[in-house]
Amino acid sequence: MSDDGTPVLSLEDVEVHFEDKPGLLEFGDETEVVRAVDGVSIDVMENDVVTLVGESGCGKTTLGKTAIGLQRPTGGSVKYRGHDIWDIRDGNSDADITWRDVRTSLQIIHQDPGSSLNPNRRIQTILAEPLKQVRPDLGRTEKRERILSLLERVGMNPAPDFADRYPHQLSGGEQQRVALSRALLMNPDVILADEAISAVDVSLRVEMMDLMLELQAEFDTSFIFISHDLSNARYFTAHADGQIGVMYLGELAEIGPAEEIVNSPKHPYTNVLRWATPDLSLQQTGEIPMRKIDVPDPVDPPSGCRFHTRCPEAREACQTEHPPTYSDDRHHVACFRENEDHDYWESPKLTD
Amino acid sequence: MAIEEVDAGSELDERSIVDPAIEIRNAKVTYDEGESYVLDDVSIDLDRNEVLGVVGESGSGKSMFASSLLDSVPDPGVLTGRITYHPRDGEPIEVLDLSKEELRELRWEEISMVFQGAMSSFNPVLKVRTHFEETLEAHDANVAEGMDFARELLSDLYLDPDRVLDAYPHELSGGMTQRALIALSMVLNPEVLVMDEPTAALDLLMQRSILQLLEDLQAKYDISLVFITHDLPLIAALADRMAIMYAFRFVEVAPTQDLVANAAHPYTRMLLNSTPNLDAPLAEMKPIEGQSPAPINLPSGCAFHPRCPLAEEQCMQSEPDYHDVSDRQGARCFRWEAAQAQILLNYEDMLEDRGTSGGDADE
Repeated sequence: MSDDGTPVLSLEDVEVHFEDKPGLLEFGDETEVVRAVDGVSIDVMENDVVTLVGESGCGKTTLGKTAIGLQRPTGGSVKYRGHDIWDIRDGNSDADITWRDVRTSLQIIHQDPGSSLNPNRRIQTILAEPLKQVRPDLGRTEKRERILSLLERVGMNPAPDFADRYPHQLSGGEQQRVALSRALLMNPDVILADEAISAVDVSLRVEMMDLMLELQAEFDTSFIFISHDLSNARYFTAHADGQIGVMYLGELAEIGPAEEIVNSPKHPYTNVLRWATPDLSLQQTGEIPMRKIDVPDPVDPPSGCRFHTRCPEAREACQTEHPPTYSDDRHHVACFRENEDHDYWESPKLTD
Repeated sequence: MAIEEVDAGSELDERSIVDPAIEIRNAKVTYDEGESYVLDDVSIDLDRNEVLGVVGESGSGKSMFASSLLDSVPDPGVLTGRITYHPRDGEPIEVLDLSKEELRELRWEEISMVFQGAMSSFNPVLKVRTHFEETLEAHDANVAEGMDFARELLSDLYLDPDRVLDAYPHELSGGMTQRALIALSMVLNPEVLVMDEPTAALDLLMQRSILQLLEDLQAKYDISLVFITHDLPLIAALADRMAIMYAFRFVEVAPTQDLVANAAHPYTRMLLNSTPNLDAPLAEMKPIEGQSPAPINLPSGCAFHPRCPLAEEQCMQSEPDYHDVSDRQGARCFRWEAAQAQILLNYEDMLEDRGTSGGDADE
């Protein structure tokens, strides 16, 4: 990564397992464990963009929420500027950072802006709320001024007009701008944008991403950007010189600089995501490069490499052994194919 | 394939499709006693066994177009015009003249529809099997034979028929529910399938997988498909022909290859440039400035002129009719030649490598 200081956020070997206890009417007392995130390590630097891509249910949202302290990991650690945030929370830390500081510094924008804004409040009131928290010293007029200038900055003109509206009087894109403004008012270090542009029309996504990129530079924030669309991930991440992490069933399959992930993917799963990305200049896409369409159940993930049940390149070795991470500068891949001497190459192909 | 349009006297009118499955003429949906319209004088043919991609932004009238095909425009909207369904054998049917009962029979048996959000199309307290059985019974079909066909369809969609039929909707993933819904919509073996954003709520990999499966299904069961979406690149891989909607009417209709390589309407070209993709240089992906118009107070002349970099006097004053770009491509734009010359597509370099410009786009 470009910065050489301490990462703003540092995730080490993070593991999030959810216990699914049997219901009253179900028999047996087997507690099922959903392994949402397993052994993921990622650093987020100042002014950085880390994008997580993957299918529904791959754990990218859980990982994102864990990174910003909304979800407590069941294993590993999440550090904010070098301090474990859950130690801070529990009062076991000697850092002079409070839990409140942590929560203020780490913000989120949700996929559906409509449901994240209170329908009974005007935009002005919605935005004044966080301001009250961080700047209780500001007077009414000053608050209004800050809100108006921010609304102008996110392209909502005339700002006084928008400030007096209710959320339902805004388009989806405008609602998302309000959500973004609300996050920015907290002066955060990291914003988790969870599928923040997926609900807006394809034709408006570039505009929204451009805005987020401009604001990133202006407000000195980092983004954790979650998307299921590799072309959006590429656009957002490459502009900020960040990294794309490809998640599969709770694990990081591959992570590296945006253009490298897109142009020379090393993990067969990244290749599948590339196939899935609509591409105007190459219409003959051919068959699905995967043996099965549906993701296996995360309660009981496949042994060995978790992708082996669908992987077009899978061989018998993949069934038993969990692939380590092979690293090449900034590019990390968890696939045996990176090791020329691995037994993988000698073992028979899986067909089923 | 040919483009079909619109006002009497248009040259395009004469080149009708040889074997249309549905002919739509001057379809118009109005609200407020004609004060505002959400579908404005739309005429197009759906060719038998073709995949027609209808592309438009939110609020461009594309869902209204879908509802019109089944005469199911929500109240108090009023649909006028002529919609003619041509069964494979038998007399043409005027959809708008049908009685309620006839309409009920037409829907699902002849023209079937799949909506976005499969979860809300299924009853959460009934097993998937019950939905299939009740559909078959309601249309007086043989349930045993129908269920065999249902199993076949589910297998075609890479689903395990027994598992899916015995499940409640919430027990299936989003992608599985959506595929089960597609199977349900086809269980009466309809001639035409209308899909309104059928994959929008799913992740991209599932969307693409479903599109691939649809291509197989379409060929296997000889259906004509109308696929409505805001995602132009997504549908480009499946559609034979595309119709681009802007402000409640079609602004450009062309075979997909021609549209992608030689789009003629400035809106189409700008839309193509606005979509993020994997190959184009990053700096050349640009959003379209401004907003699409609301159904009231539509701009005069060409509805796109306030956002169009090429607009001149005549665009503000008169509404452009279709201009022939080729015998299969038409664009409602006075300045389509200027658009092709001046608005460059950001993936143009890659197109030349493939040599697809022009050429024969048919299978």
